[in-house]
Amino acid sequence: MTALENEERTPGTGEPLVVLDKVDKWFGQLHVLRDINLTVHRGEVVVVIGPSGSGKSTLCRAINRLETIDKGTITLDGQPLPQEGKELANLRAEVGMVFQSFNLFAHKTILENVTLGPIKVRKKPKAEAEARAHELLDRVGIGHQAAKYPAQLSGGQQQRVAIARALAMEPKVMLFDEPTSALDPEMIKEVLDVMVDLAERGMTMVVVTHEMGFARTAADRVLFMADGQVVEENTPEQFFTNPQSDRAKDFLGKILKH
Amino acid sequence: MDVVLDNASAVALAFGYTLSLFVVAGVLSGIFGTLLAAMRVGPVAVLSRAAAIYVTLVRNTPLLIVIIFFRFAGPKIGLTWSFVDISIGDLNLNNLYAACVVGLTVYTTAFVCEALRSGVNAVDLGQAEAARAIGLPFSGVMREVVLPQAMRASVPPLASVQIAMLKNTTVCGVLGVLEAFARMKGLTNDYASSRTEIFVAFALIFVVLVEVLSFASARLERRWRVA
Amino acid sequence: MRHTRIKAAIAVLGLSLSLAACGDAGSDDEGRDVEAEEVEEGKFEEGTKMAELAEAGKITIGVKYDQPGLGFKDASSDVPTGFDVEVAKLLVADLGIDPASDSVTWEETISDNREPYLEEGRVDLVLASYSITDERRKVVGQTGPYFVTGQQVLVKADSDIAGIEDLKGKTVCSVTGSTSLENVEAAGAKGAPADTYSQCAEDVLNGTVEAMSTDGSILLGLAAQNEGELKVVGDEFSEERIGVGYSLETPEMCDWINGVLEESFEDGSWAEAFELTLGGSGAETPEPPALDPCPAA
Repeated sequence: MTALENEERTPGTGEPLVVLDKVDKWFGQLHVLRDINLTVHRGEVVVVIGPSGSGKSTLCRAINRLETIDKGTITLDGQPLPQEGKELANLRAEVGMVFQSFNLFAHKTILENVTLGPIKVRKKPKAEAEARAHELLDRVGIGHQAAKYPAQLSGGQQQRVAIARALAMEPKVMLFDEPTSALDPEMIKEVLDVMVDLAERGMTMVVVTHEMGFARTAADRVLFMADGQVVEENTPEQFFTNPQSDRAKDFLGKILKH
Repeated sequence: MDVVLDNASAVALAFGYTLSLFVVAGVLSGIFGTLLAAMRVGPVAVLSRAAAIYVTLVRNTPLLIVIIFFRFAGPKIGLTWSFVDISIGDLNLNNLYAACVVGLTVYTTAFVCEALRSGVNAVDLGQAEAARAIGLPFSGVMREVVLPQAMRASVPPLASVQIAMLKNTTVCGVLGVLEAFARMKGLTNDYASSRTEIFVAFALIFVVLVEVLSFASARLERRWRVA
Repeated sequence: MRHTRIKAAIAVLGLSLSLAACGDAGSDDEGRDVEAEEVEEGKFEEGTKMAELAEAGKITIGVKYDQPGLGFKDASSDVPTGFDVEVAKLLVADLGIDPASDSVTWEETISDNREPYLEEGRVDLVLASYSITDERRKVVGQTGPYFVTGQQVLVKADSDIAGIEDLKGKTVCSVTGSTSLENVEAAGAKGAPADTYSQCAEDVLNGTVEAMSTDGSILLGLAAQNEGELKVVGDEFSEERIGVGYSLETPEMCDWINGVLEESFEDGSWAEAFELTLGGSGAETPEPPALDPCPAA
């Protein structure tokens, strides 16, 4: 716990929920995560940005062990991530994940997509799981499409279902891995709106994104990554108006020009 | 065609054996092939390796040798399958039948495994990741998400495997089961002047059976394409 | 798992060796020496098949390769041996061709090939444990018989089975597509088809089937190969009349064949041939059978 005490406190947050301590990872020769230290507190929204290949997606996926790490530790709510097996599955149930490419189960209806986890993992009765699923689908605005298959929905709608699917597990933290990158521009907003709503309701979130608008409105903290390292870490206000590092200045200069 | 019609009941019984070999070995190879495919794509390295070795060994061995192994090498080590003796109507499923079924199953299992594996590979990796992300264990990921989709993608190759198996049952005609091929040989031996007709009649029945299978597989493929 | 597989592979290898070894009996000797006869002018009428063959000095005979005692050839020998072959030699010699020379081609004719090979002219004669039947006579010429045999039962030496009557409802092995297999079924037993007779014998030996059944002569050969382990039991329950096959296009061959056979019955060469081949498996030399008359030309 000493590592935590050394961490700088960030504004408006509770106790530490996700803690990465000296995490390193290689893909063969490529050092994709270099000595990552990160603490996400309960209720906090952390946005991770950076150029492609900076390791931000890998970081996000490492938190629920979709990517293994080679060095360091990751703890979730005080517990270190277990190895493969039953415990890992249990832990993943506590972590919601939203993918760039939605990954809705293609052979199941929207409703079944949302109820699969609660029924099979949480062992909830079907009726209860379905009632909750309908609530969540209503909340993300897909309530009337519950009987359809994923392929019958637009990308934006699919991504909102994916969010509902993750929420149905009542996770402690939600991970978003570039949730809007695969969407047509007109659909990005409907997904971001759902995410902002979620942030306002106090969900702990780690969001990898290129949506600077979202970072400004919803983030408590912005992490800027480059070459597998956290180069800069600040409030959105500070980061966007007064970036400290050259890499961040360069990056912001490129994306904010238009 | 007179010869075949005159011997209709014998011919029907022979195809009864052919079909029962096909159905029993088909179902068993389906079950074992699925388990083997799960081992093959699963996270446990030892199982995956064992499954790979099985597939390599069996797939590279001619069917005849696989069945002969169970028919003749088995008894040499005391495995005569004599505990199998079931009669259903005129069908007598005895120890020779059992050895043939085991041989066909062992052989076809490897092909079912590979057909399913190709199906599993056709399922987007993200599907399994999403299933893991909601906390399903490996078995759940396979059962709920990957295999149902893999099955769909595997229908055409699986149909090919099982059609080949239907025809492969003829090997049993020289290994103790009086199925269609053995009966055909009997008739051509008896009726030297009608050989062509007998051959054509048996070939036609096989064509019909294979067509029924192909039709069923095409229907299944269409029906499952919804998603 | 790997280990048992290797063991199993060795077992298979051992099996195939033992099957091959099964084929050894009956090839201990090279058969009788039959010398070619002098063919004087006019022995065969001009334009007959016999004249043509004698003129060419070459002949092709269809025989079995897999029936010990009748027609058998193992991998190590050049020519097949057996009673069928011995009778064929008499016919060949009568044409003035040396049976031991390269002028005689011993073509393997499996059961299904016998008629087509005769019809296509690929073989001139068939002596391949060829049962005479009316059905076959629709397609090819058959004459003889030079041997009459019947189906019996081969069981383990310690078996209580005394004949086909004891095998109702039991599994009995015979070769796929053979008349023997159908006779077994007709007798109320369950037929188990096999590729070869030695495969059936293997099944009887290892207890996979109760018994096997086919012509007594073949069974005697197999019993001799596995002395003390297998025995032939029961009466003959079918009659197989083994004859010579020729093409319907050359009906003149019938009288010639019958003539040569008749002569061999009388001069003792037939009996000698029998003793040397089938007689080796303990059978008494029977009386020569009565020949069918040739169909009127």
